[in-house]
Amino acid sequence: MSAEMLAMSEYGRDPRKHHFSPYADNGGTTIAIAGDDFVMVGSDTRLTNYSGILSRNQTKVFPLTEKTMIASTGCWADVLSLYKDLQAKLTLYSQEHHDEMSTPAIAQLVSTVLYWRRFFPYYVSNMVIGLDEDGSGVVYHYDPVGHMEKLRFSSAGASVAQIQPLLDNQLGALNMKDAVPPKVTKALAHQLMHDAFISAAERDVKTGDSCIIYTVTKDGVAEEQVKLRRD
Amino acid sequence: MFLTRSEYDRGVNTFSPEGRLFQVEYAIEAIKLGSTAIGIQTSDGVVLAVEKRITSPLMIPATIEKIVQIDKHIGCAVSGLVADSRTLIDHARVECANHWFVYNQDMKVESVAQAVSNLAIRFGDNDSDGPAMSRPFGVAMLFAGVDKSGAQLYHLDPSGTFLHFCAKAIGSGSEGAQQSLQEAYHKSMTLDEALKTSLSILKQVMEEKVSSTNVEVAVITKEKGFTRHPQDEVEKIISAL
Amino acid sequence: KITYFQSILSYNGGCVVAMKGKNCVAIASDLRFGVQLQTIATDFERVFEVGPNLYIGLPGLVTDTQTVAQKLQYRTKMYEMREGRQVRPQTLMAMVQNLLYERRFGPYFVEPVIAGIDPSTNEPFICAFDLIGCASTPGDFCVAGTCEENLFGMCETLWREDLEPEDLFEVISQSLVNAFDRDASSGWGAVVHIIEPHQVTTRRLKCRQD
Repeated sequence: MSAEMLAMSEYGRDPRKHHFSPYADNGGTTIAIAGDDFVMVGSDTRLTNYSGILSRNQTKVFPLTEKTMIASTGCWADVLSLYKDLQAKLTLYSQEHHDEMSTPAIAQLVSTVLYWRRFFPYYVSNMVIGLDEDGSGVVYHYDPVGHMEKLRFSSAGASVAQIQPLLDNQLGALNMKDAVPPKVTKALAHQLMHDAFISAAERDVKTGDSCIIYTVTKDGVAEEQVKLRRD
Repeated sequence: MFLTRSEYDRGVNTFSPEGRLFQVEYAIEAIKLGSTAIGIQTSDGVVLAVEKRITSPLMIPATIEKIVQIDKHIGCAVSGLVADSRTLIDHARVECANHWFVYNQDMKVESVAQAVSNLAIRFGDNDSDGPAMSRPFGVAMLFAGVDKSGAQLYHLDPSGTFLHFCAKAIGSGSEGAQQSLQEAYHKSMTLDEALKTSLSILKQVMEEKVSSTNVEVAVITKEKGFTRHPQDEVEKIISAL
Repeated sequence: KITYFQSILSYNGGCVVAMKGKNCVAIASDLRFGVQLQTIATDFERVFEVGPNLYIGLPGLVTDTQTVAQKLQYRTKMYEMREGRQVRPQTLMAMVQNLLYERRFGPYFVEPVIAGIDPSTNEPFICAFDLIGCASTPGDFCVAGTCEENLFGMCETLWREDLEPEDLFEVISQSLVNAFDRDASSGWGAVVHIIEPHQVTTRRLKCRQD
């Protein structure tokens, strides 16, 4: 095949053929860190399509209840669709059972919802973060088809490769002789999250512009935005 | 009631001009032919006690099962057409299992009653969600369980109405039993007191002499969930009455 | 036809990282030699001594690691005999560029990383290449191999300017080990060389074996 032909669109080569590609990778990175009585979750605010920037100010963290949030990155269309689906299910639940859904229940629901689409998955990396029934912070991490893991900290999305080893080291105290995992304070979580986003923005074109950090406590959700490099 | 009987008591989809659904009312009447069942809610748990009618000395009493487990934390006592209850119990069990599957948590007793009620009022409604019963179910049920708001007792009747009770009696002896419950019940009742009360009321309203073979007792607590009360324990309580 | 084979560069696994410090440089690598997901050996060194203060790491396809190492040894020895002096880091960089670009259309599947100290100026030097010899000489650190992205994340956060040899050892070790712990193709032990003008310290690191 000539270089010219390769450069053409698929239907340009043969107008009878057209393969629909249902997924896009719109990038985005999320980090979540749980403490004893809080949980911190952050996302970068860049939304991309290949090398194009669709938005410099789009959070990837969404509220589900007073004390539960979901962080989703991947195919943006699927992120929006999944979030709407969950919102509808949460409303139905609260009306049916006269109660707000707990974070562990939402965590299980997300797993189930993702697995229902096992053979045409939502192309999304998810984390559910919130306070459990005892008021302590929890992080649940998922693969696109609903495998769930409960963790103390995690990252997801485009820059997971850059960030996860750092969290393992700094919060899990892995490979540190005689070290014990540190007490996770808001200051430590915030500092680490900020550093991780700066490093990711340095090396990954899909992460950047700024990061929004949410802190969930029993008193509600606090929000803070910090700038990142924009190139 | 039978004075107002008319052509409106046939179909389940037609109100009488006075605004009544006779088949539902008759179904409620059917409960009053059933054996007596009592439920008492205390702060530590719920007691269910039912009468077993031994109609023949050749019958094996243990095969009568009027208290069933719905989930590990919920039990159910039935009175009326017991065969009808099987469908509803199956439904309740499936709902509980599904709730666990989707949400990884115990279903609330109220939600179970709601779910069963949804099925109970689907009579005569064949086109909405597959085939349904052609008539109302002829059973009343007592759902007893422990959920996050504590020990709970719900009563469901053939009309689909479900209500939260501190103590409730259903079946043939229900009128007398409910009266006795109203007199005996107090908010600080312990589980042991509730056991004693339920059996002594059964003793009052049963035609047969009460014994550990012709009653069925279950207790639902936060710690142990649904447990059947052992026959020798029941015997002890009865002999102390 | 579905195959899970992806890239020749990640067929055997392995990774290398080099870092600058204050009057010192460090180079470290893992010790795994695998064939796709199967681990064959856990004592495979992919960092080679070229001169007293000069090392090169060759992550990539192991057969090419060995070929390139031998070819470089031949060329550097010829250079030393011809010139009667040690190869300077800058010189080695040029030699690697030539060696790799000679195979522009049938490349060696290695992405070399050089770490050394210039014998005449005592200047620390690091550089990294792609598989056809395009070099870059960053001021901080170089990474290559199957967990390159993980290494970038670690190094970008942990590296600081003017690290003393002991601190440099800690930073490069933590960067390497925590990076390859999140990569199935790299790991199974590590070796670290800390290069100072008058000495080289080589240490093997204890790490998880899975």
